[in-house]
Amino acid sequence: MENDLSQDPGIVQDFLAESEELLQGMDQDMVSLESKSEDADLLNRIFRALHTIKGTSGFLGFDPIVKLSHRAEDVLNDLRRGSIKLNRRIIDALLQTRDQLSRMLADISHGGLKQYKTDALLTELQAVQRPDASDSKDAAASEAPAKLPTPRQPDAPNADTASAQKKAPAETTADVAAATMRVDVRKLDELINLIGELVLERNRLVRLSSDLTLGRTKAGQLEEALTHSTARLSFITEELQTAGLKTRMVPIDSVFRKFPRLVRDIAHSLNKEVDLVVRGEETELDKTMVELVGDPLVHLVRNSLDHGLEMPDVRVAAGKPRKGTIRLEASQEGDQIVISVSDDGAGIDSDRVLRKAIEKGIVSAERAKVLTQREIMDFIFLPGFSTAEKANNLSGRGVGMDVVRSNLKRMNGTIALQSHLGTGTAVLLRLPLTLAILPVLLVEIADEVYALPLRSVLRTAKIRDNDVHRVEANEVLRLHGETLPLLRPDRIFPTRAKTKRDMQKKAVILTVGGRQLAVLVDHLVGQESTVIKPLGSYLHNCSSVAGATISGDGRVRLVLDPAGLLAMAQGNALNEVIQ
Amino acid sequence: MDPEARSMSSTTNIHVAGQEHRELLQLVSFHIGGEEFGLDILRVQEIIRIQELTRVPNSPPFVDGVINLRGKVIPVIALRKRFGLEELPHDKQTRIVVIEVKGTVLGFIVDSVSEVLRIPASTVEPPPRLGKVEREYVYGVGKLDNRLLILLDVDRLMADSDDFSSAASA
Repeated sequence: MENDLSQDPGIVQDFLAESEELLQGMDQDMVSLESKSEDADLLNRIFRALHTIKGTSGFLGFDPIVKLSHRAEDVLNDLRRGSIKLNRRIIDALLQTRDQLSRMLADISHGGLKQYKTDALLTELQAVQRPDASDSKDAAASEAPAKLPTPRQPDAPNADTASAQKKAPAETTADVAAATMRVDVRKLDELINLIGELVLERNRLVRLSSDLTLGRTKAGQLEEALTHSTARLSFITEELQTAGLKTRMVPIDSVFRKFPRLVRDIAHSLNKEVDLVVRGEETELDKTMVELVGDPLVHLVRNSLDHGLEMPDVRVAAGKPRKGTIRLEASQEGDQIVISVSDDGAGIDSDRVLRKAIEKGIVSAERAKVLTQREIMDFIFLPGFSTAEKANNLSGRGVGMDVVRSNLKRMNGTIALQSHLGTGTAVLLRLPLTLAILPVLLVEIADEVYALPLRSVLRTAKIRDNDVHRVEANEVLRLHGETLPLLRPDRIFPTRAKTKRDMQKKAVILTVGGRQLAVLVDHLVGQESTVIKPLGSYLHNCSSVAGATISGDGRVRLVLDPAGLLAMAQGNALNEVIQ
Repeated sequence: MDPEARSMSSTTNIHVAGQEHRELLQLVSFHIGGEEFGLDILRVQEIIRIQELTRVPNSPPFVDGVINLRGKVIPVIALRKRFGLEELPHDKQTRIVVIEVKGTVLGFIVDSVSEVLRIPASTVEPPPRLGKVEREYVYGVGKLDNRLLILLDVDRLMADSDDFSSAASA
């Protein structure tokens, strides 16, 4: 069945990467086609993509793929000629074809094609080609379960946990391409140019060194030449670092483009009407981040569809347009990427959240009275917290938002949620541009130097004893009329030496997801750009530590996690209750 | 070779150029609190001098800190503490034995490392009645002349720590 060429890993790898990209595009195009059935360009693009896959598969001897794509091509051809009219049944059949192809590609990358029961699909593709067949099955499908296994039920009945979601067929081929990536040649050229400069600078140093050995250089000249060389070297290394990181940057489009299909499928299954608006898909971020951010986004969009948007009738009754809107937007703000998922749905009822929190014993009724809106919304991120009366396939089991948040934590990102009852919900994710390099503020606490991510540092302040006050069990800092929770890490962290309390006159004000926290330190040491390293599996539970860096003298310095520190300052009471 | 030894070691014999050798265990031996321990040499990546540890807040109690091993950050575990012995200040003899356990590189702090030993596998006996806890990490006791070597099972030592850390965080 498969010929010699299919044994060449290089050729097959190229084919898989290319096909996966084409299928991704097809997914998006097919969904657009549903609303713009007259668009000949779209139709042609889908046809071309399919044709390319068919062609290469034939060349490599992957017959099942050829057979299936050939049938689908026939349908597309008829559509192009106008002999049949596009309807939902055709789109469903085409999407199923796409998913089947995607599964086959995944199998190839995991060893080889298997036996497939594609007869039903092939028959369906043939059936939709009859002009009179139009939409008949569509009507049937809405009443009874479809005969065919429905395309990609992203929320198949067993999708009850986050882990099951990960297994959704759409993502099966994602790992095919994960190990390789396409890089813009211009980025590589820039890299090569810089390497060229590095070589020149090296040559200059080599000459300098030999001149010195032969005694051809005077001390004064040497000093000047060395100063010049080191300055050039540090400039080039910095540029090289940036250029190297840039090669890892990919447009977030690769994540965004699976959403039209996802939203369509979920909306259909919920009988909701929705427009998905995608903006800023050209925004670039690190490849690792792109891979990590996918799952949280799927979860948020799913939440919006399921909990956020109301049924069309309810919307009309509330004086809103029948069709809801979900916006998926990305942009770059300084050294951060901001991704927002917003909807114009029902919003979150903060009273209900609060009631639930009291019910679950997370807060006392007393304390509940003084909570701010933001603090109430934060309950949503606690593990096991769900306000849904009844869990369904999509959501409501309360496993969601805490997973989203912990995923974001792994990316050093933050999440903020804003919601207005009746007008909608917006979730804002902030991610660092890259995971590799982290500008930090070095501080000394109890004779140990720690690093704080600079992007969380709002400012530093000198404080006096009477700025510190006590509220219930917690200490707070009053500064310029503001009241901030205060953390004395030396009381919690292991200490090497006795702390000289009188030296603690400095506070670093951190901001985490819009909230502030003052951390008392002994000294401010300075700023640095560092490479962050993971602590390894035995220490991944240390919530207040984000990782480690290695200082100039070879010692390990811990990078503190502002979110973990905030949790510490507030006492971990909330989390303990739930767990 | 006497007949008894021949029959005893017949299953573990290897033939090299027609000669018979009894299977030997190669062990790195180290001391903790007066006891001598042995670790399979193939498990040991390297032995380094003690360096200043960076302690990690909220870490599992048996993790003493982290060190920089040529650019990699690895956790370090004080075996004294792990075995419930009194903690002593580090001195010139103190070493870190670097081992890989289930894909994670980590270091064990020991009082001192003495030598690489070869002992016949046949002299290894199942652990005698030690404390219940200790016994779980020991897969046997080896004899060399009149020295007793406690052979550590690091996988089990750390498998137990897994429960330890997840329990501590839950």
